[in-house]
Amino acid sequence: MAFAWKAAGLSYNRYITVASRVVRRSLKEDKRIAAERRGETELRFSKWENGKQSEPRNLNEANQAAIAEHAQSASS
Amino acid sequence: MMLSRAARPALRAGAAAAARPATLNATNAATYATLREIEGRLKSIRNIEKITKTMKIVASTKLTRAQKAMTESRAYGQTSNTVFEKAETKALEGEGKKTLIVVCSSDKGLCGGIHSGMSRLVRKMLLEKPDQDLVVLGEKCKAQLSRSNGRNFVLSFAGIGKDVPTFADAAAVADQISMLPTDYTSIKIIYNKFNNAQSYEPIAIEAFSEEAIAQSPNFAAFEIDDDVLANLREYTFANALYWALAEGHACEQSARRNAMDNASKNAGEMINKFQILFNRTRQAVITGELVEIITGAAASEEG
Repeated sequence: MAFAWKAAGLSYNRYITVASRVVRRSLKEDKRIAAERRGETELRFSKWENGKQSEPRNLNEANQAAIAEHAQSASS
Repeated sequence: MMLSRAARPALRAGAAAAARPATLNATNAATYATLREIEGRLKSIRNIEKITKTMKIVASTKLTRAQKAMTESRAYGQTSNTVFEKAETKALEGEGKKTLIVVCSSDKGLCGGIHSGMSRLVRKMLLEKPDQDLVVLGEKCKAQLSRSNGRNFVLSFAGIGKDVPTFADAAAVADQISMLPTDYTSIKIIYNKFNNAQSYEPIAIEAFSEEAIAQSPNFAAFEIDDDVLANLREYTFANALYWALAEGHACEQSARRNAMDNASKNAGEMINKFQILFNRTRQAVITGELVEIITGAAASEEG
């Protein structure tokens, strides 16, 4: 079984995040606001090497960048 | 008159040592200073009590929401656990296997010892097996563990604990962890298990690797394709993370509520003590002044 989103470099978690975002956005106005709050993340993360912390980065942006990179390497 | 003049230098000395704690057996000469001192202390303790009380109320309201989120998230975690129980999945044992420890703490303190409890457990695990890697969620455990085990860190996350954790949080964290270059055979998630409003304990749950799932004895009963297995692993990992985060969050709120409750109680006790001390000292000052006036009057009558 091959998945289109897998070929595009998305992970399953990313896939369901996108899918749930679409569902939340298509809700009615009053329900949508409450539901969209459940889909927000404001996490920051930083990589560590040899006991040193690097610059903290926004998690969502980093994930998207990683996926874009992944997709390029998959298509080429 | 003699008495009041003798009191002057002592007053200056008392003002200089304002930081010194006011004691019950303060000498009569220093009472002018300590009276003001006690008043100041009383005021500051009252303010602290107000703050801790408010924080307790805030934590209480957040606790109800956190507990609701926790019971909801338990469904996620337990459903995926049922799969592994039925499949009798076990963690792979062997030499040269890399283990990853994910610690679910939060950014905020003022909630008793829940973060240090987890740090202690992680340190113990690292003592037994020092080549495990660490991923830490939340600033508190990061600060504690980076001092002793900074070399084991591979990732740290911040911004957790502002609100009830969402599944989107867990999914994003799980993605970032699965993007790590090293292949981990076993992932342990450390979180605080919520026993009841008063007690919690740090425990570890296991998130299995693909191999471990594929090798479990009853795996064939589920008829899972190899392609889908990776998805299942990612999804169950996010599930487990979400469960751990939500339960940890509920623990934190209840711990904060308890800590603030105790702090308010202590502040109340101190206020009582200082109020009594204040009244007594005031009385002593008045008596002292009266004695001064009477002796002065008596002396001038004689002369």
